[in-house]
Amino acid sequence: MQQQGLIFDVQRFSVHDGPGIRTTVFLKGCPLRCRWCQNPESLRPRQEIAFFAERCRGHGDCFAACPHAALRRSPAARLDRERCTGCGDCAGACAAAALRRVGRSVTVAELLAEVSRDRSFYASSGGGVTLSGGEPTLQMPFIRAFAAAATGAGLTVGLQTCGAFSWSAFAPLLADLALIHYDLKAIDGRLHRELTGADNRAILSNARELAERGAPVLFRMPVIPGANDTADNLEAVARFVLGLGARRLHLLRYHALGESKLAALGQPRPPMPDDGLASRHAEASLSGAVRRLRELGLEVST
Amino acid sequence: MTVTVSDRVRALDRDIRAAAPHLCAERALLVTRYFKTRADPHQPTVMQKAEALRFLLANKAVHIYPGELLVGCFTAHRVGGGLYPELHGVAVLEDLFAFETRPVNPLRLAPGDRYRLLAEVLPYWVTRFLAMRAFPLRRALAFVKDQLAPRFYLINETGGVSHFVPDYAGLLRHGTSGYRAMVARELASVAPGSAEESFLRSVLIACQALEEFAAGYARKAAELAGAETDPSRREELREIAATCRRVPAQPPETFREALQAILLAQIALNLESLDNAVSPGRLDQLLWPTYQREVAAGRLDAQAAFELLGCFALKLCEIVPAFSRRITRFHGGLFNGQVVVVGGQDRDGADATNELTMLFVELMDQLRTRQPNYHARLHPGSPRSYRARIAAALAAGAVSPALYNDDVIVPLVRSRGASLEDARDYATVGCVEPVASGNSFLSTDAALVNVPLCLELALHGGRQPRAWQRTGAATTAIAGCAAIADVIELLRQQLDFALHRLLDDLGAIERANGRWHPTPLTSMLLGGCIANHRDASSGGATYNGSGIQAVGVVDVADSLSALDHLVFRECRATLAEVASACRNNFAGAEKLRARLRAAPRYGNDDAAADGMVGRVMTLFADLLRARTSWRGGEYVAGFYSVTAHQAFGEVVGALPNGRGAGEPFSSGLSPQSGAERRGPTATLCSMAHLPLAVAKNGANFNLELAPWVGAEEQGAAWLGALIDGSFAEGGMQLQVNVLDPAVLIEARDHPGRYPGLLVRVSGYSAYFDDLSPKMKQEIIDRTMYGRPNALSRHS
Ligand code: SF4
Ligand code: SF4
Repeated sequence: MQQQGLIFDVQRFSVHDGPGIRTTVFLKGCPLRCRWCQNPESLRPRQEIAFFAERCRGHGDCFAACPHAALRRSPAARLDRERCTGCGDCAGACAAAALRRVGRSVTVAELLAEVSRDRSFYASSGGGVTLSGGEPTLQMPFIRAFAAAATGAGLTVGLQTCGAFSWSAFAPLLADLALIHYDLKAIDGRLHRELTGADNRAILSNARELAERGAPVLFRMPVIPGANDTADNLEAVARFVLGLGARRLHLLRYHALGESKLAALGQPRPPMPDDGLASRHAEASLSGAVRRLRELGLEVST
Repeated sequence: MTVTVSDRVRALDRDIRAAAPHLCAERALLVTRYFKTRADPHQPTVMQKAEALRFLLANKAVHIYPGELLVGCFTAHRVGGGLYPELHGVAVLEDLFAFETRPVNPLRLAPGDRYRLLAEVLPYWVTRFLAMRAFPLRRALAFVKDQLAPRFYLINETGGVSHFVPDYAGLLRHGTSGYRAMVARELASVAPGSAEESFLRSVLIACQALEEFAAGYARKAAELAGAETDPSRREELREIAATCRRVPAQPPETFREALQAILLAQIALNLESLDNAVSPGRLDQLLWPTYQREVAAGRLDAQAAFELLGCFALKLCEIVPAFSRRITRFHGGLFNGQVVVVGGQDRDGADATNELTMLFVELMDQLRTRQPNYHARLHPGSPRSYRARIAAALAAGAVSPALYNDDVIVPLVRSRGASLEDARDYATVGCVEPVASGNSFLSTDAALVNVPLCLELALHGGRQPRAWQRTGAATTAIAGCAAIADVIELLRQQLDFALHRLLDDLGAIERANGRWHPTPLTSMLLGGCIANHRDASSGGATYNGSGIQAVGVVDVADSLSALDHLVFRECRATLAEVASACRNNFAGAEKLRARLRAAPRYGNDDAAADGMVGRVMTLFADLLRARTSWRGGEYVAGFYSVTAHQAFGEVVGALPNGRGAGEPFSSGLSPQSGAERRGPTATLCSMAHLPLAVAKNGANFNLELAPWVGAEEQGAAWLGALIDGSFAEGGMQLQVNVLDPAVLIEARDHPGRYPGLLVRVSGYSAYFDDLSPKMKQEIIDRTMYGRPNALSRHS
């Protein structure tokens, strides 16, 4: 119960992350770098500071508070990320909440206590806890301990994963999972690397392992206009999923939410060709994908 | 259950909505005429009052409107509000020249009524209305002046007590003839010429009054039937006549007779005591035996019963309260508080849900009306179908029913002295106040207290910033406090000071109500009075007491939490700095204000912040316990605010929770709009974990959900799970709004575009159009903030 995990949010009353009323725990750190990522704060596996320039009122309390002289006057380049240790002192000092700490470490016991607060609502709705991220499996020992403890406490645990994990480390977790949301982005290895910066061999083979074991898995796919909604990719996904003996695929619509968060985190914008364009086409892209995938024999939900 | 609102009921609904609400002078004129010309001043007051009621009921206009199956009118107009000049009516008449033109809740007057009120009513009562009789003259004048623009407290009981659940079960069992027999037996045991005898005789007069009232309608119906050309309507009118000839004198035999008997009594009770919160109670239980019998005999089916229930509900919509603008600030939304309660447990603890319960739930959803105020009781044994139907209605935007948790409320009613059976048979009164049905006279809306004002005084040594003089207790300077407990002690002293004055005034009002406003008909229909030979206004009912509402508790608690956090824990500011920033309404102290606002607040399932609300609740309830009501019974705390959280907010400066001067407080025990940041389950946990056992007079909790919840396929299931989960956590009450802010904004900008748009205000429903601009804004804000952040996230 003393294992430490790094999370960046705990969202109660999540109703789209599995059955019933759920609490979704967002774990920090991700091995992929999807070009459309909506949760840039989820990427780095360490505590960091986000600066929201538009909230800054120029009070200046942050400068005084920083023990490492990592803050500069200019709002355009407030944070020297080389010097910043992510200690969070500045965020505590900032009255305008322009500086915010992203990421906090919790023990299994603490997290369990926190998610247990909605126990009555899980019971009344058939809900539970969902581990999401980031990529929860990056913190495998932690989530294994947590899932075991939560299951032991009578909660059901779901997992949302990109599938990029080592099967042998993952296998012991399986017994404690009531639901796995497994995200597929692209089947072709080159396309996958281009879109996410990562290899997809483990992702595909882990999917096979899960399917073989009859794990409670729901495959999902974010539909990104101009990125992975091509006819080829849709066909490949359909073939892959059907090949596993699964019938259902859940599609996720693209939302351009990540931009301002990216700026706040001082991250270079990933090479998304045109977010505006993508947003405008999100609906059409999604309905196109739904239609095509249904033609290909899948049960598609959105 | 497939029942639908019939064309007849739809037409009645249309007629009532189309009718312009009137200020009705009838009651005031008849009562005045009686006391001026007929009353025998040597007769005991209670008998005069019974005679006055009789005179009123015998002489008021008798209308039977097209299509009606149940008859009886509260006022001479289709929709109207009566005037109670012997109570607060004189004060209401401050608007005599503004009723028609005022922008919020305009009321029309019939030609000549303004003159008659001015010439006949005012001169007689101006020296005799209740407040004038309660206090010596100078004190009375000061009191009335203060109460029209109250700062510390508003004593509603100055306008009479009312607020009870009549023993309609008794009326259905005995009829007035049965009560007559009962009284006759009691008369044998009292001394001739005694007060007890006068009381019992007055009950006999009240019986007569009610019987004559019914007879008037029987005559009218027969007369109309004679002239009616449509044979089916003629038949209906004949049946109305037959019904009114039998009830309420005889115990009703049919479903229709039962509803008619209750309706006539309901009207008479409103006219006798005060048109506020005469609450019919558990109609699904009261009517169940008759319903069953009739259905079994093949004389009634669900659809026919549903139509009659619709007729009944609409009758209760024909009355509106007549307030002046200043009084409306505290009681906005044209609200009469006639609560109908369904579901829950029976007297033995078994589930009481029946077919009629379900008919009522259908009615709430299909015929969304301002009144009655529908409440649904829930307990762990409530059937799934019942829960699901309610959740579906609420998810689809019906704002009724409000929900009550038997597991919390039954022990609460017990803790006030009720037997277990009586407690299980509780119903709610007015807004949210739980009482044992049919035998409780608990003045649940006796007074409202401005708690944040007491905090403001504590911050500034007993004197409001910019005030001429000290109005609070002379407490020591805030700067001397070394811990939050010291600040709370100053608050306690201010509150104690205010409550002492309140209870002194209230005591005088209680005595005046007993002396000058006895209510024999009410007493007949309240268990205990006949047996005790004593009027309810003098403590004759089985259970007595009085409820005092703490308004603004959440703002006070959040302010204390912010002070604790910022001053005593983080040491980022001093008390003097915060007090001075409040004095200046945070001018030049934006940063401090932002820090105060960012402090932990109630509504996020944060144990410390929620605990502070509990601390303030308990403080208030404990201070009340020091005294008892003149009628007997304790003073208990309630935590609902009607619209007083706005009106009281106007007279209080900035507070340490960051609320600006004059802004509204939060409603009841709901978090401040925008304070809840962790979604509905966290807010519900915060509410459920409060020390609700001290909220003996009830509390209101608003749950605002964003429209997407209702729009999704599973919305009703989620909502049902939120309700069940919250009650499993120990929640007490819940009223749900699933409204689209866009629609509300449109309704605000274009009054009249959504005439039927009902919203839940504070323990009751109101048409959005009937609210003040400020209240409209509050509802919109609440709805906006109620949006849980459920953006779908994906990797
Ligand atoms: S403390 Fe906050 S508001 Fe003030 S300058 Fe720093 S970031 Fe801006
Ligand atoms: S997180 Fe710590 S080190 Fe980084 S800028 Fe803030 S105060 Fe400085």
